[in-house]
Amino acid sequence: MSFWRQAGLNYIQYSAISAKLTRRALKPALRVEALKREAVNAKPTMWKDGKAVAAQKA
Amino acid sequence: MALTRSALRLFSGRFAQACQVRGYADGSSMSLTFAAPSHVLYNNISVKQVDVPSFSGSFGILPAHVPTLAVLKPGVVTVFENDGSTKKFFVSSGTVTINEDSTVQLLAEEAVPVDTLDISAAKELLAQSQSQLASASTDVAKAEAEISIEVSEALIKACE
Repeated sequence: MSFWRQAGLNYIQYSAISAKLTRRALKPALRVEALKREAVNAKPTMWKDGKAVAAQKA
Repeated sequence: MALTRSALRLFSGRFAQACQVRGYADGSSMSLTFAAPSHVLYNNISVKQVDVPSFSGSFGILPAHVPTLAVLKPGVVTVFENDGSTKKFFVSSGTVTINEDSTVQLLAEEAVPVDTLDISAAKELLAQSQSQLASASTDVAKAEAEISIEVSEALIKACE
């Protein structure tokens, strides 16, 4: 079994790390465009008892 | 007698129908669809061969390859086009599907031409990953650092 699966990671997480590094290994001009792809547009906020608990960092 | 009867059966009925319907898998061409979420590299383009790096080993796909599902490892995909030219792409991860009709779908999370990679950036990533491993405390952090090392090494290898 792969070392990362033994540590509790799944292929999706493996793929995300791999893609992140690939983008950083691009030539500077292309890297800018690629890094835009990493922007996450979702901001999670935890709710409890009908109220938003202190806003989480995105 | 029994032999000819069974031979005849091979060429009639369902098998013959399957042969007629097969169409595409005539062993001479295969259709490649190779894409990443951000862009499409090949969309049902006929190619001669595709070499892919997978977790079950690197292998070359030729027309009439056995139907296969495999998961990609960070590495170089080489496409041998019909006009004789060869194109290399670095893929971070993804899946490859080879169908019965010889169509191949290569879906990568990141796929970039190898000449767009920067070897000094890749070497820097390796150094960073190694220090990340040295300072990792939990199993998860160690695994993530080891993944980073593996990917960085594949990137450096692709640049050479």
